[in-house]
Amino acid sequence: MDASEDPFAYALSSNQAWAGYKGHQNPDFFPKLASGQSPNILWLGCSDSRCPETTILGLQPGDVFVHRNIANIISPTDINTSAVIEYAVIYLKVKHVVLCGHSACGGAAAALSDERVGGVLDTWLTPLKAVRNANREELMAISDDKARAVRIAELNVEAGAQVLMANMAIQEAIRDRGLQVHGTLFDIGSGRIHDLGFGTGKGGSGGGALGGGGGGDGTAEVVKGKHAMLVFRNDGAGMQAL
Amino acid sequence: MLKGRLGCSLLSSTRRTFITRVTVTHQQAPRSLSLARYSSQSGSNSGSNNSSSTGRKDSWRTMAESDISRYLQETHDRVFDHNRAWAAEQSKNDPEFFTKLSAGQSPDYLWIGCSDSRIPAEQITGLEPGEAFVHRNIANLVVNTDLNVMSVINYAVRHLQVKHIVVCGHYGCGGVKAAMTPKDLGLLNPWLRNIRDVYRLHEKELDAISDETARYDRLVELSVVEQCRNVIKTAAVQQSYAKNQFPIVHGWVFGFGDGLLKDLKVDHEAMLHGIQKIYNLTE
Repeated sequence: MDASEDPFAYALSSNQAWAGYKGHQNPDFFPKLASGQSPNILWLGCSDSRCPETTILGLQPGDVFVHRNIANIISPTDINTSAVIEYAVIYLKVKHVVLCGHSACGGAAAALSDERVGGVLDTWLTPLKAVRNANREELMAISDDKARAVRIAELNVEAGAQVLMANMAIQEAIRDRGLQVHGTLFDIGSGRIHDLGFGTGKGGSGGGALGGGGGGDGTAEVVKGKHAMLVFRNDGAGMQAL
Repeated sequence: MLKGRLGCSLLSSTRRTFITRVTVTHQQAPRSLSLARYSSQSGSNSGSNNSSSTGRKDSWRTMAESDISRYLQETHDRVFDHNRAWAAEQSKNDPEFFTKLSAGQSPDYLWIGCSDSRIPAEQITGLEPGEAFVHRNIANLVVNTDLNVMSVINYAVRHLQVKHIVVCGHYGCGGVKAAMTPKDLGLLNPWLRNIRDVYRLHEKELDAISDETARYDRLVELSVVEQCRNVIKTAAVQQSYAKNQFPIVHGWVFGFGDGLLKDLKVDHEAMLHGIQKIYNLTE
């Protein structure tokens, strides 16, 4: 089958082109990568195909340590996520943990419904169901389906951020070296990330776009990418244009 | 030669915007730091030497904190401009891009890869947003009792009906090395134990490799094959394959030395038959 038609063949041939392009553009690129990683950011996001973290942030290979699961659920006893956090925080010593939910999340929609999803998914989605139940009145008062899905995604990030803040490795890193934890939401319809103000940040307004206020207060830290840069301040994280 | 390959694989398809994105961004890049980083890419795109641009592109890293602050002030008004430019460009290439994205996803791929920051699935495969459902964990393991990865596989196969499942490992994996270190790593122990189990399955072969790096790299490959087998053992994959002839499971390994993916050529059909004597869940 023609490589342009078969997605499997396409991905492999595209990788050849990418590697050739990258190596040509910067001969040091791959040797440098091979020497090790020292990412500043741990990204905890959704598996959803529309949320490719490194692309969204315009960052490069080597910049973001990544865990993605169904509906970006942070469950305290999940060994998979816990191992990722442990490795990233204790051994790689990332400076920022970014939990990112998103609009139009299938997991959020499933949690809002009373239908059984099937298999192991219902068990996995239990923490999100609990969030739904704890905020049932507020959620049911929202008439627009999309808005309701966004709201439960925000509440999910809030709950996840609380679990992160209760994680011992994270607590110690906050205390000992100023690790920051950020709760954010990616809006698929516009491609933008908003800081929700959960975690170590204190300027959150619940859904307001960050980056609109304050142009750096001297303590800002910049992680710069191709399309945008992440600016981490004491009061939260935001994405800025280049 | 290089351009020929790029032209063939990246530019032939209209929905691929990798190269165009580079060009457009260069035109819109504001003066200052981003340009320095950016021009290196555009410059080399036209084939220029880039030893000098390598130095420039990271210049912001060495800036004084006060300079960075000033830079932030200067760029304050352009907050989100670039992101808007990217969004506009996507829309220009495909007016329905974000509408379609908002409407839902129908990726052909499930990618199970390592959390390692150096392997962003989409970038190394050229896949666009919406094309690959992604799970990444320490050392790309597929563990039977891990509800996290099992939920991902279940959702991808039964609800999204992906056509391919790729387990992608990488040479020089820190997780694999950590697993072979005779140390108590606390919370990481139960997770990394799965790699030690793979070693035990192939003890003779691995012990015979005297070079340590080569031995770890072989363990990386053997682990990927074992994780492919674990994917095939799931009810979702067995049942979907019996009914639809998909998904097909693939084992790949990414090499940092050259940025290339190596297909381990896992024989899906043979592997499925191999496990079904014991693990059959289709009846």
